Amino acid sequence: MKNILKVALGILTSIGGFLDVGAIATTAQAGAVFGPRLLWVLAFSTLCVIFLVEMSGRLAAVSKHTLADALRERFGFRFFILPYASEMIVDLLVLGAEIGGVCLALQFVTGIAFRWFALPVALLVWLFLWLGSFSFVEDATAILGLVTIAFVIGAIRMKPGLHAVAAGFVPSLPPHDRPQYWYIALSIIGAVISPYLIYFYSSGAVEDEWTVKDLRVNRFVATIGMGFGSVVAMGVMVVAAATLLPAGIALDRYEQAPLMLSRSLGLAGFYLFAASLGIACFGACVESALAMAYLTAQTFGWNWGESVAPKHNARFASVYTGAILLAACVTLVVSDPLKLTLFSMALTVVILPLLLVPMIMLMNDGNFLKQHRNGPLSNFMGIVIVVTAILLSILAIPLQILGG
Amino acid sequence: MDLLLDVLDQQLIDKHGRKAGKIDGIALELREGKPPRVAYLEMGTDVLARRISPRLERWLQALRARMGREVAPFHVPWSKVKKVHLTVDADIDASKEPSYHVERWLAQHVIGPIPGSEIDHQRGKR
Repeated sequence: MKNILKVALGILTSIGGFLDVGAIATTAQAGAVFGPRLLWVLAFSTLCVIFLVEMSGRLAAVSKHTLADALRERFGFRFFILPYASEMIVDLLVLGAEIGGVCLALQFVTGIAFRWFALPVALLVWLFLWLGSFSFVEDATAILGLVTIAFVIGAIRMKPGLHAVAAGFVPSLPPHDRPQYWYIALSIIGAVISPYLIYFYSSGAVEDEWTVKDLRVNRFVATIGMGFGSVVAMGVMVVAAATLLPAGIALDRYEQAPLMLSRSLGLAGFYLFAASLGIACFGACVESALAMAYLTAQTFGWNWGESVAPKHNARFASVYTGAILLAACVTLVVSDPLKLTLFSMALTVVILPLLLVPMIMLMNDGNFLKQHRNGPLSNFMGIVIVVTAILLSILAIPLQILGG
Repeated sequence: MDLLLDVLDQQLIDKHGRKAGKIDGIALELREGKPPRVAYLEMGTDVLARRISPRLERWLQALRARMGREVAPFHVPWSKVKKVHLTVDADIDASKEPSYHVERWLAQHVIGPIPGSEIDHQRGKR
């Protein structure tokens, strides 16, 4: 039973890191333009992120070091300042985009322009972190996050052709708009493999005091947690394919998004869409804000911990407080939260190798992992992931110009 | 022990088990006719800036001088180091060290005055 509760960390990481505004936006757009044809990209990114999250959890359980701790200690400050600084900038934009996502959900329901909600939403995210313990944050997000299953129900209700869905798992090129196809594929990978998710998970494992005994649980949690996010994201793509594609709605404006569930589930679908978007983005706000505080505290060696009183961890609490405030300002000044989302995802892809290359090297370091170093399978996947990440980071900008 | 691998950039822990920063630099003492020895460990933004580029450190110091602020260096004499294994444990009190003034200032002027800043959940851990 205790081990089942540990899944909460996986679901939280997944709701916050996998199912964020970026993943919902790109998978919905993929479905609206190309039907279920890009499911294979989602499946591939899921596999990658399961392996990465497992590694990050294993590192924390074996060495009691979070990923950021271990990277600074192993590669030194002079190197780590690069991934650290770039990650902080991208995370700030991501946090701004996620606050924007919650605001959009509120705009759908109330009809009031999203901007008005930026500060109240930021305050709510901050209160959650300020008052909650780590296990509260974990459990509340995991339980609320279950509402996102609405996308899967919506997808099933549309009775999509099983054949077409199954065919989506086999890579194939569309007859039209190939640059856009590859651009969306790249965005999906960028939305799913977010560095802040990988950093966050190892901090969570230390917060939950995992030890070597938890290695099997870690494998289970990584698979179930990320698998959950993936199934919901697949639901988004399939339901968008079944509702938006036939209607010729290419989802180039965010106001069109709730149509995918209201066409499948009626008025309830409309509200379920807003709730799912709001909660998934709220989870992502919490996770990215915490990730920034963890990352900074661990880079500079301060005390950290979400359950400790803010006053006794003033620098840690100041980082997430400041980050939320700044990100809310970003949300206030952008004209379109969707554009901010796509931009921050493209940036994520550009900086991805800065984390992944040293991380895979670290996972083979006996000083940290002893006999729990990467096996042949993890290293094979590690190489696949690193090669993909380097290719994507080179292609990100040209593809954005051609297909975005 | 390998200074670069086991000491530099490792986590410094004080005598109360509190994290006291990462080891940002190591100062060696050169002795005539004898091998050099570690004088002290050093921490702080100046040391970090120096590691990125000495010019950045000079720039930072000039900026600070202009603002009329002086920060005492945070040094840990090697004799205070008790254990080097995964972390560096030293017989110091982090809250009395210069680098702690930011933490103290934030706790007193920013974080402390906000209601709820003393709610601690550490006991309620599952």
